[in-house]
Amino acid sequence: MSTEPIPAASPSLTRLIQELNRLPGVGPKSAQRLAYYLIRLSDGEAYALADAITAVKQSVVFCQECQNLTDASPCAICSDSQRSRDMICVVEDPLDVLALERTRCYRGLYHVLHGAISPLNGIGPDQLKIKELLDRLKEGQITELVMATNPTLEGEATAMYIRRNLDRGGLTVTHLARGLPVGGSLEYSDEMTLSRAFQGRQEL
Amino acid sequence: MAPPRSYRTEALTLRRSPLGEADLLITLYSKDSGKIRAVAKGARRPVSKLVGHLEPLIRVQLSLSVGRNLDIITQAQVLNSFNPLKEDLAGITKGLYIAELIDGFGSEAQSNPAMYHLALDILTAIAGNPASELPLRFFELRLLLASGLMPELYDCVQCRKPVAPEGHRFSPNFGGTLCLECNPPEARIRPISLRALKVLRLFHRAPSSKALTLNLTPTLAQELKTLLASTISYWLEKEIRSNSLMEQIQRDSKYAV
Repeated sequence: MSTEPIPAASPSLTRLIQELNRLPGVGPKSAQRLAYYLIRLSDGEAYALADAITAVKQSVVFCQECQNLTDASPCAICSDSQRSRDMICVVEDPLDVLALERTRCYRGLYHVLHGAISPLNGIGPDQLKIKELLDRLKEGQITELVMATNPTLEGEATAMYIRRNLDRGGLTVTHLARGLPVGGSLEYSDEMTLSRAFQGRQEL
Repeated sequence: MAPPRSYRTEALTLRRSPLGEADLLITLYSKDSGKIRAVAKGARRPVSKLVGHLEPLIRVQLSLSVGRNLDIITQAQVLNSFNPLKEDLAGITKGLYIAELIDGFGSEAQSNPAMYHLALDILTAIAGNPASELPLRFFELRLLLASGLMPELYDCVQCRKPVAPEGHRFSPNFGGTLCLECNPPEARIRPISLRALKVLRLFHRAPSSKALTLNLTPTLAQELKTLLASTISYWLEKEIRSNSLMEQIQRDSKYAV
């Protein structure tokens, strides 16, 4: 199905459909449905959506400390004096910060790399916020670095690269445990997951 | 009889990228049918049975069903995940380089078991010694051979006379060795030492078990690297991204790669 101009639709409606179609996971049919829904919304509700999109593009910046996306730099987490300032948890994406915050079990700081090393996709260390992390670590306050990149080949390669380029001693580098997901089954797990889970076994 | 709706094959995973909301598009090189691109449905969901089996650089046994555009992976079983290679950053970057070249040279729906087995052999060799660049050079020459692009190493490609020792040069784009007299205008010509030529001839004829025991001096290793790189990039017609990563890691790293 294409998003070529439909003769019966107005040019501005066609343009809206084309723009919505560009969003990930939104195909031509969904784009049409969303467009018609937006037309039927009240002016106030529709403009609120348009304003929210504009505001995000105008005001969201990288936090000068942790590189997370934020309105105000430093971000709320980095500015929070209640948080432990001797631990940094390194993640790939801002959404990973949200996921970890939902656990409520981590009270340290973060660092967002905005991706992982993936040469086949043209992403090398220079395209990530690695240098910013290494600069942050030079200040000497941090005693533990928790590598929470994804347990994929790219995430592991990124963690290894960062590990290799650490300048100073006195820094404990840890990574999140690997193993079986809650609700998973041994039968269908791949050998890498199973062997890692085995290695990381704990006393009952 | 209608073609079968499902099939099984053994393959090496090369790369994956997100597709749609929860799927992964996997690129593989198979033993029987060359390069395959297939969908692993739901592989990005939290409790996916497939995702761990489809990481890059894994030898898998697959069951697939034929789809309208792309085939769909229904089952995957890991045969070899090359774990020792993945515990080392040098191993990972070299492995991804192999994957990138197979992705570039491999063709869809064209069976090339030689290319498949070459990739597996070299990944095993890298896993055994991630610091060595020798398996990459051997792989590069054998990849050209398996792709029907083997450079000429014995005769002049222009006049067809056997090249004399020390009386030879190399042209990556014109097909291989040239004698000292022939100078085709469109050929990019570069010098090649006799030792480098002998190593290439050995790579051509000898099994990997012999070729990978060679000990190259740094100068010779560098000469072979640039020579093969220019031939590979000529045929590939695009930049090899893993190369720059490998070099950067070598430059940045506190330890030798």
